[in-house]
Amino acid sequence: MDVLQSSNSVTRVDGTAESGRHEDQPRRQHGDRILTGREQYLDDISVPGMLHAALARSPHPHARIVSIDATAAEAIPGVEVVLTGERAAGMAKPVPHFMDPGLAGGLNTADFGVLAVGKVRWVGEPVAAVVADSLATAEAAVTAIAVEYEILPAVFEAEDAMRAEAPRLFEHWPDNVIGHLPNTEGDADAKIRDAEYRASARITSGRHQPVPMETRGYVGSWVTPDRIELWAATQNPHVLRTRLADMLGLSEERIRVIAPRMGGSFGYKFVGFPEEVLVCLLSRLTGAPVKWIETRADELLAGGREFTHDVEFGFNADGVLEGFKVRSVGNVGCLASWSGWGMAAQGCFTYPGVYKCADYAVEVIPVVTNKAPWSGFRAYGKEQANLVLDRIMDLISTKLGIDPATVRFRNFQSSEGMPGWVHNKHIDSANYAGALTKLLQFADYDGLRRRQAEARKQGRLLGVGLGYELTPEGGEMFDSLTRGHDSATVRVHPSGTVTVATGITSPGTGNDTTIAFVVAREFGIDLDRIDTIQGDTDRAPYGFGIMGGRAAMAGTAAAADAAREIRRHMITFTAAEWGCAPEQIVFGGGSVRATHDESKSMSFEELASSIYRRGSNGSSQSGITHADLEATKVAGPDNFHHEPDEQGRINFYASYPYCAAVVVVEVDGETGVVTVQECSAVDDCGAVLNSNFVDSQLYGALAQGIGGTLWEDLPYDETGISQAQSLKEYLLPRASDLPAFRVAHQETPSPFTRFGTKGAGDSGIGSGMAAVLNAVNDAIAPLGAQIHHLPLSPPRILNAIKAAGEMTHP
Amino acid sequence: MLLEHHGNAAVVGGGTFLLPRMTRHLLEYEHVVDLKDLGLRQITSTDGEIEIGASVSYVDVLESDLLRSNLALLPRMARGITGGRQITQQGTLVGAVCFHFPTTDAPGAVFALDAMVDIHGPDGRRSVPISDFLIDAFVVDLRPGEFVSSMRFAPQPSGGYCKVKHSTGSWPIVTASAVPGPGGSVRITLGAVESLPVVVTVEDPLDRTELKHRVDSAITAPWSDVLAPGSYRADIAAAVARRAVEDLMGVPK
Repeated sequence: MDVLQSSNSVTRVDGTAESGRHEDQPRRQHGDRILTGREQYLDDISVPGMLHAALARSPHPHARIVSIDATAAEAIPGVEVVLTGERAAGMAKPVPHFMDPGLAGGLNTADFGVLAVGKVRWVGEPVAAVVADSLATAEAAVTAIAVEYEILPAVFEAEDAMRAEAPRLFEHWPDNVIGHLPNTEGDADAKIRDAEYRASARITSGRHQPVPMETRGYVGSWVTPDRIELWAATQNPHVLRTRLADMLGLSEERIRVIAPRMGGSFGYKFVGFPEEVLVCLLSRLTGAPVKWIETRADELLAGGREFTHDVEFGFNADGVLEGFKVRSVGNVGCLASWSGWGMAAQGCFTYPGVYKCADYAVEVIPVVTNKAPWSGFRAYGKEQANLVLDRIMDLISTKLGIDPATVRFRNFQSSEGMPGWVHNKHIDSANYAGALTKLLQFADYDGLRRRQAEARKQGRLLGVGLGYELTPEGGEMFDSLTRGHDSATVRVHPSGTVTVATGITSPGTGNDTTIAFVVAREFGIDLDRIDTIQGDTDRAPYGFGIMGGRAAMAGTAAAADAAREIRRHMITFTAAEWGCAPEQIVFGGGSVRATHDESKSMSFEELASSIYRRGSNGSSQSGITHADLEATKVAGPDNFHHEPDEQGRINFYASYPYCAAVVVVEVDGETGVVTVQECSAVDDCGAVLNSNFVDSQLYGALAQGIGGTLWEDLPYDETGISQAQSLKEYLLPRASDLPAFRVAHQETPSPFTRFGTKGAGDSGIGSGMAAVLNAVNDAIAPLGAQIHHLPLSPPRILNAIKAAGEMTHP
Repeated sequence: MLLEHHGNAAVVGGGTFLLPRMTRHLLEYEHVVDLKDLGLRQITSTDGEIEIGASVSYVDVLESDLLRSNLALLPRMARGITGGRQITQQGTLVGAVCFHFPTTDAPGAVFALDAMVDIHGPDGRRSVPISDFLIDAFVVDLRPGEFVSSMRFAPQPSGGYCKVKHSTGSWPIVTASAVPGPGGSVRITLGAVESLPVVVTVEDPLDRTELKHRVDSAITAPWSDVLAPGSYRADIAAAVARRAVEDLMGVPK
């Protein structure tokens, strides 16, 4: 691991970095262009002759497609083609899953075509596509398509879907269960049975999803038979290219996938959506480029996080958790090729989080229903384990009257044995108690408790809640195109400017700036001399895109490696020029100079130009006679254990960042409305390369965690129609709903990554959710009320308060 | 023109309700008639009445000295309109009443002030009290070819308002407007709680028990939607009413 030596980012183990300390760290490159709306997003792409696609969607949650009559639609002037599922099936292989449950050892799976064939299984499932000369014409034509359905019985709740007599979504499955996913250690039953205290709870998490500001969209151009260009709002353009080649039987190198700047992705824009290939087919059929843009209502169909957790646990009088059992049923909606169901698996793996309890039995059961499929969603299921575990901590605290912070300190896993196997994970490094200690000081936890006591005296319902999370990052799935490493090409031009092309994509977080910054530091030049290329398979080396903190772990390492190789060539040249030893040459301040002789100095531009123009006489060393100033490197974290150890453990996450949060809420006892007054968090994503970006990640994650716990919800009616089809029904938090976040970082470097980074993409969701859940319960505790049903909407909170009142005053 | 295209034409004020619904194909019209150029963006005082034209936006309401001193409830209500500046700059008070989406601010507040609705149509002008104009959710007393040109109010310098909603982006769940009545009584108009505003009068506004009793018994068919079931609206209505009364009477929270 390289410890960064520049003045603006000192890696330290004790972690004293605080928000705002890194003022000299670069701001987002081109941030002005983004802020003023001058960047190009997918919907800004316009290709000459481009046509527009719209989708005909199923109005039924479960039905057989008897016939599709497109005659009337095709007769509408301006309509170019109507494509049905059967015809599409003849043009492309099934859409590969983002993560196929069939590859995960005996789980149930299914194939999915580009459009529905034979049957529809959720309201909104695309059954046909129309291409027309305008979007309005295409949308009008959609309504003219006559689809005859034979309606089948449908099921929407997971528990109902698990009954033997439930309607079967996939006829070739024995039931509606994808599988039973276990994570066990020790003997939970015995420990719970023998524990001094036992408790149980049912915690439910509502269906909600990422809601990126920019929805999905694609422009496909397959006009000449052997060349496809696809503009896609996707996190993984190279992987998408590989998939297209496979689906369409075209040579991979003849396909170009371009991912323009993204307006947020959050896992929603992982590959796996049928529309990625659909626009290509439509282009082939019409001989023109075709654009499809998802509407907000379409986007809000995707689900996530709908779980019911039944928890049983035992603990001792000191508040130490002795054993726990969790049975989690995930309503994943209909299985699809999309990226969602796997969140059940990763949630399962995350137990027992940051805690030392070594006797647990977790079973997660993803169940299919006739709701729309899940998509990937930032934190990818890990937040569920953290929500459950950190609720357990507070239930112990409440039962024993021990402060919740104290309960956590008594239950934290120690750092002993790290790096190494801890429970079911190969942990890089951690100091869990350290981050909580820092948070308690930073947020003035004692002061918050005093404020709460004062408020309670006035009859106000003020609650303080802690949340703690473990967020495994940088996942690598063996035998898949989800890998931990990534690539970078660094190219120094004769003028001394530099291009970095990377396989990492940016969801809008600024990782392009961080990757450029790493390269700038290697060459000792200004950041503005560097331009970064991302998201273009013709211009960037093969990479896996963005997910799980890969930019900070893999992208920076590959870029640094490539820059270092070029720097070595530059040093060789310079040493020959000046007749000195390579060790005597240093880069910095935009120049290269010799440590032994102040007169020896030249600008970086002069150096690059010299190497390009003349090389150095009398040498045959690499990089001297030839202008060898371009390098491609692949690098990534080194913490994967795909071969099971003697206990059968594998480790497919590169790193294990964690985060502690504290939230203060006030509940209006007459209306159940919650006001979030404060939110502070301390995360540990290892070494912080740029706290501007890490802070921003944390702000966003906390906002999403708070939103999903209090407001965001996708309820269905009894006919299988989602009731939240716009942002007036799906309540995203707005700035005025959120407090001014205060964040700080503890930096415990990973020994397995080049710069000690661990990734900062997911932290804040699980701890934010748990902290809000605990805070609301803390607020209403004086009334004897309790609530475990997310989102904690005002009607639900008021019901909980009323129920408690009826208990005490029957 | 409105008559000719009746059923296929919409009158647009600010468009903040109409246009998003047309974009999403929830409402479809081939003709949209914009009132913008009719000179109706005026707030005037004549013969002891305040008249608010059909094109008066929430920002106009917020900035009007005339309203602040004579119809304080309206700027008080407009301050909390969901959607921030994009909506307050564009949306119109009259338009919101005409659309009559029950879980919004305007219908209840205008009802509380006993507005007289001036209607322009093929047969000339007519005026209807707001209590007759609002017929049901999304249904108002407008005949083919008619549109509302303005609303008139008797001055009511004081008014208390309270709105409960789940979050900034949420539609109002329950609103309450409180205005003084004769002999120290207070008249409270509850909005968003049923398809039509619900009016409750209390002789002693500080008698909380009586207030709660009156409100609870006045609500018979509470409005349900995805954000809140009717039972919740009924549960909190009395508290919201009390807060509006306290706002009117300047009771510190």
